[in-house]
Amino acid sequence: MDYNFDWSVVTSNFPRLLEAMGMTIQITIIVIVLSMALAVPLALLRMSKIEVVRWAAQLYIEIFRCTPLLVQLFWIYYVLPPLTGITIPGMLSAIIALTANLTAFMAEAYRSGFQAVPEEQVEAGEMLRLNRWQQIRHIIIPQALRQQLPVIMSLNISIFKDTALVSTIAVADLMFTANKIASESYRALEVLSTAALMYFIIAFPASLVLSKIERNMLEGNKKGSTKKTLLRPKLAVAGKMGASS
Amino acid sequence: MSETSLAHNISAGIGEVLVSARGLEKSFGPIQVMRNVDFDMHAGDITVIIGKSGSGKSTLLRALAGLTDPDQGSIEFDGQSVFENGKRTAAWNKVNSHVGMIFQSYTLWPHMDVLNNLVLAPRKKLGLSASEAKDRAEKALAEVGMARHLRSKPIQLSGGERQRVAIARALMMQPKMLLCDEITSALDPPVAAEVLDVLRRLKEEEGIAIALVTHDMAFASKAADRLVFFHEGEIAVNTTPDEAFNRTENEELKKFVDAVRF
Repeated sequence: MDYNFDWSVVTSNFPRLLEAMGMTIQITIIVIVLSMALAVPLALLRMSKIEVVRWAAQLYIEIFRCTPLLVQLFWIYYVLPPLTGITIPGMLSAIIALTANLTAFMAEAYRSGFQAVPEEQVEAGEMLRLNRWQQIRHIIIPQALRQQLPVIMSLNISIFKDTALVSTIAVADLMFTANKIASESYRALEVLSTAALMYFIIAFPASLVLSKIERNMLEGNKKGSTKKTLLRPKLAVAGKMGASS
Repeated sequence: MSETSLAHNISAGIGEVLVSARGLEKSFGPIQVMRNVDFDMHAGDITVIIGKSGSGKSTLLRALAGLTDPDQGSIEFDGQSVFENGKRTAAWNKVNSHVGMIFQSYTLWPHMDVLNNLVLAPRKKLGLSASEAKDRAEKALAEVGMARHLRSKPIQLSGGERQRVAIARALMMQPKMLLCDEITSALDPPVAAEVLDVLRRLKEEEGIAIALVTHDMAFASKAADRLVFFHEGEIAVNTTPDEAFNRTENEELKKFVDAVRF
């Protein structure tokens, strides 16, 4: 490879990259917090007994699931202002678009979790005269969140990576800043590789935690479903040891 | 009743009618699951309900519990009309906390320990303080022989233990009536006997009216005061266990008892 690396462009611009990374993390956290809260009512509307309400919630979810995030971002940044007469700054547009998108996916994860809670557990709450909100708050949501935790974490990791799209509407996130430095220095390889590494350093530990949670849940499910399956391997090992001695 | 008694305020005396249902009808689509069902429960009595699957037993319990509204008929609870003309009346909201139900599947909430399973509803609905609710939980668990398991998680308990905790949870609301829908179906016979023994003590010591859907004929013959046989959505026989097991003329009941007795 006939390429002379020059990492000085990275070291000299590292404070800018770090600051941009801070912006990326800030956007991610705001979007995740908003989406996790907004997805609860959306999931409940999606399960409403009123058909029109259910359809409206489903329509929202399908629009955001079936169109590219970039299109949604551009639509809010470029199309909404002429329609409404209100100019929305890039940062706010980014947060609105990413939140609207993540909320749609998160609501479906919640709905799946809500519906997985056995009906008789909810009826037991009803028989103890807990009202609907108390049933949701104390019986349904804790179990649904726990069950859907891997999906929720996976969505959050994805949205963290997807924040890179906000660079297209001039929000000074990590991708925007890295791209700018690369253009200024003509050192795309070094700068963009560093940016990729910075995304990886944040996302990889989260991914490891996700894997650990999934393993724990799998073991927990096994433990909960039958104690015999846990005992059998030990008995088998003990049997082999007995045979060999 | 003892000082630790959890079920009090029963205005209907032991042996008096606590619940009276008349002319209950219920259909799910084209299938009629209850036809003109008249059913009484007496304070301090155990009524065992038997019948084939789909004969209407569970629907009756759910109707009495307020989980399923009948299409027609009326229900009185402790002398007050709680269901008439296809609707729950305002009186239902005053008395419904006295109705407890235990289900076939283990309905303890798995994300909470036993204590929190027990205290959630009393704290939220009866306004008990944390210490009051804990005291009541300890007494309720002692009643069902589970006092040592206050901090256990449901996953750490056996099926029989979970059902006993479910009974304790229902007792926390001081029910006058317990509806038990096949609560021992998934249990081994000795474990089922332990759970049913708890019900018998609750009837004798607390005067709770108990309706129990079960196929345990030994329990029915020993502990039940009344035995109700459902057949195709109707109450075909409503009598004493002795009469039902030894002198019934009803061919369907004879066949059913012979089929499940051994």
